[in-house]
Amino acid sequence: MTTEPGSWGYASDFDDITGQVAICGVGDSDMSKASGRTTQQIVGQAVERALEDAGLEPRDVDGLMYVGMPEQFDVAAFHEHFGTDHDIWESRRGGGMTGAATAPYYAAEALRTGRARYVLNTFGVAWATQRGEMTGGPGETHAQDLFKQNLEIPFGWFPQPVYFATIARRHMHEFGTTEEQLGAIAVACRRHANLNPAAVMHEKPLTLERYLASPKFVDPFRKEDCCLISDGGGAYIMTTPERAADAPKPPALVAGVGLGHASTGTHWAQQPAFTSTPAVFSAPAAFRMAGITPADVDLFTCYDPFTIVTLMQIEDSGFCEKGAGGEFVAGDTLHFDSGKLAHNTHGGMLSHAYVLGISHVVEVVRQLRGEGTAPVADCEIGVYGGYTGPQCSTLVLRRG
Amino acid sequence: MADEQDHRIEGKITRAQFPLPDVTWPATAEFWAGAAREELLIPRCDGCGRFRWYPKPECPACAAEPYSWVPVSGRGTLFSWVVVTHPFLPQFADLVPFVPALVALDEDPGVRLPTRMVDCDPGALTFDLPVTVTFRPIAFAGVDGSVPAPMFVPA
Repeated sequence: MTTEPGSWGYASDFDDITGQVAICGVGDSDMSKASGRTTQQIVGQAVERALEDAGLEPRDVDGLMYVGMPEQFDVAAFHEHFGTDHDIWESRRGGGMTGAATAPYYAAEALRTGRARYVLNTFGVAWATQRGEMTGGPGETHAQDLFKQNLEIPFGWFPQPVYFATIARRHMHEFGTTEEQLGAIAVACRRHANLNPAAVMHEKPLTLERYLASPKFVDPFRKEDCCLISDGGGAYIMTTPERAADAPKPPALVAGVGLGHASTGTHWAQQPAFTSTPAVFSAPAAFRMAGITPADVDLFTCYDPFTIVTLMQIEDSGFCEKGAGGEFVAGDTLHFDSGKLAHNTHGGMLSHAYVLGISHVVEVVRQLRGEGTAPVADCEIGVYGGYTGPQCSTLVLRRG
Repeated sequence: MADEQDHRIEGKITRAQFPLPDVTWPATAEFWAGAAREELLIPRCDGCGRFRWYPKPECPACAAEPYSWVPVSGRGTLFSWVVVTHPFLPQFADLVPFVPALVALDEDPGVRLPTRMVDCDPGALTFDLPVTVTFRPIAFAGVDGSVPAPMFVPA
């Protein structure tokens, strides 16, 4: 790990894993509002579908990755769901968010050493269901932070929509970004959701006019600037490129991985680069590993809790100059059929489901195979940008 | 709000007084004690003299541990703000609409105080507007007590 002098963050020093990992199967659960399902039921369904997609049986899975959050699909849950009892390597360096991009990096060693042949990465949430019971949700971890409890929340600077609306307003000041430009992101994602029968917002169209007419509940944000709260999950299966060549579907090859860190963590108020994300560290590292430039990317999916977070990641990943993101996304740039930078072609967290990035990777794999519901023509290189605030990750996948 | 995009957060409440600050929490007790005397205190590193905001146990610049709370002028500039009309916590119900803001201190604009703008027309706020501190009670619906806190008005 290296920190440049005067920098507000850094990139993890990753070894080159090009040519070591391929994704040979993907699946996701039904996506919904409150459904009464448990997280394990949700992820179990996604895993069943990923196994079918990969032509594998449950006993073929000998590696399992997830993230250390409550109720994730660990080895005990896997065996309970499938009635198996075989030895499985496990790692908590997977799941959604940034882990959906970096899981292949940590799986590479298990695959290289033969410790595992097929490594499953999963993530799921039942936050829409749990919201009624107040047992979970995106604001809770922030409410537990004592600096936030004592220096931010008493003033009402809480929770995430307030943080990111504050960042959006500053971005507007520094770079001239407009509400119409943020709206273009929401409209593109909604159009993709309208084409995707699995998306929660499938039947709800959104025009820019309707976006602008929507009331601002945390000015400058409208509800359309904010992601959904959903029940859902996803899964993908990693193996070596050699084994993946025998899978029923064409493989997606892991070409590059990067992980960036912000030194101020989730205390966004104090982040020196207030209108940036740690993608400025993760994306160049991943693109260097993959031997590509941003101009080579056909599809960019990214963790999109708010429109401004998408805009910043587009800039910080180098798809345009810093500050030019507003002009860049205006119009049809992000639409699947624009021939420019197709973005979140499943609808993203704004309009598909808030499953914290796992479906974004599933979507990239499907697009590389030509299976997208909003198909990107001749999609050869797809990128997923993961985000948590303290970290950004970048995953480059190449058509196999 | 449409039900599919309701962002109300009602997670685990850790203290009966939440979301009032815990004025006894050692890391920020001096901050709140100063506010009770209408003094704005900011921690400054004894090692390098830089402000250490938030008051973390170790200085991110020089790694020294000791720090002291020093008074500042209470003058700054408006770094950014939002106008909240939706109560994200039930305790915020009586507050809306209100204007959470970040104020950059004149002594070091890198120090950004999460605060609230008061006595102002939200529509008239502008970036980098000169602002000055005023001490007002924080109080919430359904929560006993109130705590004097540094809020800001246009200078």
